[in-house]
Amino acid sequence: MDQPRTDPDQELVKRTQSGAAAAFDELVIKYTPRLYGLVYNMTSNHEDTNDLLQDIFAKAYKAIRGFRGKSSFYTWIHSIAVNMTLNFLKKRGRRFQLSLDDVDASVQNDKEFLELTATSSPVREADLSELQRRLNEAMMKLSDEHRAVVTMFHIQGMPHAEISKILRVSEGTVRSRLFYANRQLQNYLDEFRKNPVS
Amino acid sequence: MDEFDDSEIARLLRLKRYEQPPPGYFENFLHEFHRRQRDDLLRQPLWRICLERAHSFITRLDVRPLASYPTAAAAVFVCAAIISLKIYQQPETARVAQQSPPTLSLPANAEGEWNLAAPVSMPMLRTQPVRSFRESAQTHRAAPPRYVLDSVPVSYEPTFRF
Repeated sequence: MDQPRTDPDQELVKRTQSGAAAAFDELVIKYTPRLYGLVYNMTSNHEDTNDLLQDIFAKAYKAIRGFRGKSSFYTWIHSIAVNMTLNFLKKRGRRFQLSLDDVDASVQNDKEFLELTATSSPVREADLSELQRRLNEAMMKLSDEHRAVVTMFHIQGMPHAEISKILRVSEGTVRSRLFYANRQLQNYLDEFRKNPVS
Repeated sequence: MDEFDDSEIARLLRLKRYEQPPPGYFENFLHEFHRRQRDDLLRQPLWRICLERAHSFITRLDVRPLASYPTAAAAVFVCAAIISLKIYQQPETARVAQQSPPTLSLPANAEGEWNLAAPVSMPMLRTQPVRSFRESAQTHRAAPPRYVLDSVPVSYEPTFRF
């Protein structure tokens, strides 16, 4: 049986609730890179991500007095981020342009990347920017809800249980969304496999 | 078969972690956050700032347990008590004006000759104020002038003598 764990952010949350704005700054610094990854991989647009992230933290700051600690701060702030991003994507619709961040050059040394280039011919033949564009296009063809699950599980490495808490759905729903999204991605990337340099 | 399987897709997606914002982005994010908060605060009207402060104060107090029927009933009772106290503490002049007896004025011949040929004359009611405006103003300088319309209850009508 899982033992109830203490929230590592509890102290910072309490200090923020009692009016110490500097404590919230520490939470912002701590969670910005992680939430940036979440929102960016759901929107595939850097400018939208920046605006959304600012709004997410502003909303969290306003709402933190009402945070009673029923979930961890981590789950709470991720729920806010996912919900706000899903609402934003509904409003944005299909009219958008990819605005991708640069791929860090250190990817060339990544063990998994090296394995992929060694075993998969499409990855070996395509250059990095082409691979990035294809991946993002495939991601954007998924529904918003499926993309959220794929982002949290595959890119951010969250366990199913945590994703189910954030999305407030069952773990079974998370697994079935992942299964369906993987099939979809396989289909979309099949074109890339057949024609790696377009 | 040269097809992306689940593990390959997972590995490909993990490479997306290497997509990073421009250098210095995370360092500047907090400054940008503070700047936007200040701008938002300056744009907001004063009443909204007060409302938000009050809301956050109430949220901090956690007054939800107080929001019950007994509390509401007690609040209504207190309000009623305050209002009734206010009503009973009205200025004395108002009560005097309300309680002053109506003035009856009869025509000059009402007591004297009464004949059946003459049309029945009803007692005339004076519709002028009991006191002139100037008198009233002199007596109650603080209170605004009040007018009292004379009215005669049925029991005040003079009995006719035959």
